[in-house]
Amino acid sequence: MKTYTTEFLDETNEVISGLNSEEIAKALKIIQATYERDGRIYIFGNGGSLALATHWVSDFNKTVFSQDLDRPIKRFQAVRVPSTEAELTAWANDIGYDMVFAGPLQNYLSDNDCVIAISSSGNSNNIIKAVELAKKRHIPVIGLSGFDGGKLAELADAKIVVKTKKGRYDLVEPAHAVVLHLMTKYFQDYFNHLATKISRK
Amino acid sequence: MIVVRAPFRISFVGGGTDLPDFYHKHPGRVISATINQYIYIVINPTPMVSKVSARYVLSETVDHPNKLKHTRIKAALKELGIMSNIEIGSFASIPARTGLGSSSSFSVALMKALNLHKNNKKLSPGETAEAACRLEIDLLGEPIGKQDQYAAAHGGFNIFQFNPDESVDIKPVLLGYKANSLLEDHMLLFYTGITRSASKVLGKQRMSIKKKIKDYQEMTEMVPIFEKELLAGNMKNLAKLLHQGWLKKKSLSAGISNPLIDNLYQSSLKAGAWGGKILGAGAGGCLMLIAPTKKHKAIRAKMVALAKKNKLKDFQEIPVKFVQSGAEVLFNDNHTVL
Repeated sequence: MKTYTTEFLDETNEVISGLNSEEIAKALKIIQATYERDGRIYIFGNGGSLALATHWVSDFNKTVFSQDLDRPIKRFQAVRVPSTEAELTAWANDIGYDMVFAGPLQNYLSDNDCVIAISSSGNSNNIIKAVELAKKRHIPVIGLSGFDGGKLAELADAKIVVKTKKGRYDLVEPAHAVVLHLMTKYFQDYFNHLATKISRK
Repeated sequence: MIVVRAPFRISFVGGGTDLPDFYHKHPGRVISATINQYIYIVINPTPMVSKVSARYVLSETVDHPNKLKHTRIKAALKELGIMSNIEIGSFASIPARTGLGSSSSFSVALMKALNLHKNNKKLSPGETAEAACRLEIDLLGEPIGKQDQYAAAHGGFNIFQFNPDESVDIKPVLLGYKANSLLEDHMLLFYTGITRSASKVLGKQRMSIKKKIKDYQEMTEMVPIFEKELLAGNMKNLAKLLHQGWLKKKSLSAGISNPLIDNLYQSSLKAGAWGGKILGAGAGGCLMLIAPTKKHKAIRAKMVALAKKNKLKDFQEIPVKFVQSGAEVLFNDNHTVL
């Protein structure tokens, strides 16, 4: 059991240290630009990736500013798509699973927004359909994928790929969680830094 | 209605190497960043009024674009085949001719907005920059370079390489908030109150490029060094590079500086600035300085006193922050856009 654990942790360490910091930095730039133009960030994924998306939204909308929630500064507007189970099942049941993200996204998407798509394979049909919608409208896309990156890595503006063998969700999903937490922490530190500067003045 | 905004920019090193007389022979290279000062273009379709209106410092209403006094709006409308039923307004947070790239930011926002209005097409940053370059350089024959159009369209800190085949390589400089904040804290930006036409300064500069090729090449070589120091947050070294770049630039053509600008700059150095430059084509506009924060008060006082003595009544400090966003569509109520 101990050997198994060590091997798994080694593999996890290896994929995390193999992440491309340049692409993650590009994602930070996209998010900052969206904030500056008062746009929204739409995030979505299937299964475990949808759970990651939901977790990230709560962190990003609140935790980033949690040390200074009284100060009336502009906050992030991150939204998980679809935002209700009712919408998810309505699109899935009435139209088909391919449209569960692109369908609702089409209702919300404005020119000043950006999109974060999470798909370990990078090839989920419903994810690609939503990403294609965003790309058609020149909305910047941050793609979090795994394995060989799939179609998502081809389409995304910031291509964050956790390179693993096909099917290793157990390695891809925690690495995605790390990247999402990194994005939260970056902006948390950034806004704390600005707040400290203001209070010093 | 459509609202598009485009940021102004600060060009650090390499300005002038984006002129075709140079980059047609050797690749030009510039490093610049966009700031939180913007130009806004508003397009109001007027289906019941066939006239063409342009609202800027002047307010014009005419029967055909040909009758417009505003040369850029006129050329842009004709290029896109928009001959009637439109009102175009422009609003900026900073006056024109300050060396912050405002005229190209205007063209960038205008082309993005008009393409959306006419063709339901949202241009990508690259397409927007190209459309603005075509308007200013090809259609209007302005003797300017391409860096400002690309800076305004893309946003953020970038290195642009201008290739002999007219292609442009864009390398974003992904500066973290700490280095960004450090630069903002050390930077001072003063509008001298001396306005100038960039086209006039650049027109003169272009005539002598052939004799100064080596100087221009040296300027392009400073760009990656500046990038390295910027990422490392070495403010003093950045200031020295700006200083070297400015001295080099001044030597290229007689019109780039003048005794008053030299006096302002030299006095800022005496008051403690590490280095700086005049932004844009030169001959006026904004003076940017990098200085230790504890010297800022003394430098401000010195600059204000000199401005007063030289009757620069529009002289003032411009507080700036850097921004990552480029030309953006802020509002568009035409929902059929694809």
